[in-house]
Amino acid sequence: MRIGTLKESYIADAALFDSRTQKVWLAVAAALLVLFPFIASDYWLYLACLVCINVASATGLNILTGYTGLVSLGQAAFMGLGAYTVAIMQLRLGTPFLLNILAGGFVAMLGGLIVGIPSLRVKGLYLAIATIAASFITHFIFANTSFTGGTGGLTVPPASVFGVLLDTSFRLYWVIVPVTVLMLLGAANLFRTRVGRAFIAIRDRDISAEVLGIPLLRYKLLSFGLSSFYAGVAGGLWAYFFRVVTPESFPLLMSIFFLAAIIVGGMGTILGGILGAVFMTMVPELLKLVFDLLPNSTELTVFLSPVRTIIFGLLIIGFLVFEPHGLAEMWRRIRRFFHLWPFRN
Amino acid sequence: MQNSRISQNRRSLLLAAGASLAAPLAAHAQAGGEDIVLGGSIPMTGVFAFAGVGINAGISDYVKILNDGGGIKGRKVRYVPEDTGYKVDVSVAAYKKITSQNKVSLYYGDSTAFSKTINPELDRNGNILMAGASFATELNDPKKYPNQFLVGPDYTEMFGILLRHIAKEKPGAKVAFVYSDSEFGRDPIESSEALAKKLGLNVVIKIMTPPGGVDVSTEVIKLRRAAPDYTIFHGYILAPIPEFITQGKQQGMTSKWMGTFWTMDSSTVMKMGEAGDGFMGVMPYRYYYDTSAKAPMLDKIRQMRPEYQSTAYIQGFLAAMLFTEAAKRTLDAKKELNGKNLKAALNSIKDFDTGGLIGVPITIKGNSIPVGRVYKADMKAQKMVPASDWIAL
Repeated sequence: MRIGTLKESYIADAALFDSRTQKVWLAVAAALLVLFPFIASDYWLYLACLVCINVASATGLNILTGYTGLVSLGQAAFMGLGAYTVAIMQLRLGTPFLLNILAGGFVAMLGGLIVGIPSLRVKGLYLAIATIAASFITHFIFANTSFTGGTGGLTVPPASVFGVLLDTSFRLYWVIVPVTVLMLLGAANLFRTRVGRAFIAIRDRDISAEVLGIPLLRYKLLSFGLSSFYAGVAGGLWAYFFRVVTPESFPLLMSIFFLAAIIVGGMGTILGGILGAVFMTMVPELLKLVFDLLPNSTELTVFLSPVRTIIFGLLIIGFLVFEPHGLAEMWRRIRRFFHLWPFRN
Repeated sequence: MQNSRISQNRRSLLLAAGASLAAPLAAHAQAGGEDIVLGGSIPMTGVFAFAGVGINAGISDYVKILNDGGGIKGRKVRYVPEDTGYKVDVSVAAYKKITSQNKVSLYYGDSTAFSKTINPELDRNGNILMAGASFATELNDPKKYPNQFLVGPDYTEMFGILLRHIAKEKPGAKVAFVYSDSEFGRDPIESSEALAKKLGLNVVIKIMTPPGGVDVSTEVIKLRRAAPDYTIFHGYILAPIPEFITQGKQQGMTSKWMGTFWTMDSSTVMKMGEAGDGFMGVMPYRYYYDTSAKAPMLDKIRQMRPEYQSTAYIQGFLAAMLFTEAAKRTLDAKKELNGKNLKAALNSIKDFDTGGLIGVPITIKGNSIPVGRVYKADMKAQKMVPASDWIAL
């Protein structure tokens, strides 16, 4: 039990940020996010943008898998739908950035609603297998229609926002980070609403949820729709970020990456999606930087690279074995430690 | 006791994190010299590691030879590779990391997807000349890819070399194209069909297989019915080529079997076993063990590395040679080392002797080097032997 956080109403109890300390830390984090582009090199800015895109998509998958209990391996396919929508609109219609991103989200949402239909009948691994179909179908469509540029894909011209061309990581940072933050706030708020609670009820016991009056089909499809909307927006940002979209840009492995991210991060928590995506994106890079410190690292790259990959794999296994609730749980434990620190640890 | 161990662990974790954050700064401090930096997104792990390891060794060896000989006009070449795992986002991260920490003039990329993705950044940056592992036809367009080049013929040109060889060996022959359903596989098919017609060859069947598919029995039946004189595989490394050949031969097919660059490494072809005897394909470079003509650079490689080196090694070695030749010519002309000047210098290469890596002097007019030779597998000798003269398009 934390001290100094007495709540006298349900609204206060459901508040996203409930203590002054939390608000101060959030303000510090916001200030750091604003300062970051001015102190970081292009490499770190690139990674920051990539992490944000992955966080957005992982959060989407967390809504579906972590909160609603529906396992999906179609997240990359939905990202592809969003990315292609953005690419086509930017290339052929020249429509504004925000409209393209939203359209990407809605097209992916539509895809998600279709792919989600079997979720009423099948669950768990069976549903995961059913969602794999999304990857193959979208790959086929992307590769075999001239509209999507065939196997060669599409090259996306940079977007322009208020006359500023978004052609560098620095400039893209200012749209990718705010969009991701908005999506995170949206997801966090979702679980304070009736809809979010319904998702959790379905995850915990879908039959009981139905008995309680939650229409399963509607809410399961809604969860699929919201999740793929997130993936679509993330895919749209991906298209603007990498500027080339091909059928091979969104392989099945990418869906597994996001599933791994939310498992490692902690399913069913917003923080879990964030930490998982950060972990999966950043740890291989950080390991590279650590290995770079070794003498003759350039000459030894060929030997060190597989070792690095093995260490990354071991880290994932280690987290799963020693903290099955994910990084979010570790973070919670650290926070708990500091709640009464230095009086008790 | 336990507490002290925990705090020690925490301290080492903090040290590692601090060190990793400081690493770019330290590397940046070293980058102030006059070295010419050759960066590389190299796939040393992942599905393309079989080639990446060779490419890395090839580039390293050429850079060593060059630096031991005094570098370029007294300036050393510094090779800075990063492993990419053959993932585009990691390749771009490697590019950003290397270019953030060094003043990069030359860069080796690991895939078609990377070459396409990084192209706008290369154009924006303007200081880098890039080549890579890709032979995609799309990249052979100096207008669209002004700061890039291919270290050999593009895939369409590889098909062109094979088709010319076929047209010469058996005019009017029936040809089959078997390719994977991927960007890599589909790349040369449409344009090569047109070329085959022009050469008087008859493309009797085109078979597209799913990527990674190994059960090809129905496709083999279709292929047998078409009864081609030559079957060209493209878009694969090895599988399902041996399955096609074995089943085709069992069903009485008399076709000659052919492949393109990434299938043609000696170690890959030899893995086909008995089925691969007589397997032919296009190779832009001499094999490590090819002693059919004078090749001083190959002799040097054999001296440095007595064991067999793959064709990916030769590709990396030649890429480094051409990169540094472009840099040398740019500096000779007292021009700044930037993408435009380096590319112009590269395009000034005319009748250039590669030390025997390629059997004829090369000229680089656009983005590719449209030269190659047909080699044939001799399973008894466990070697690829020349089956044609060098063919320049």
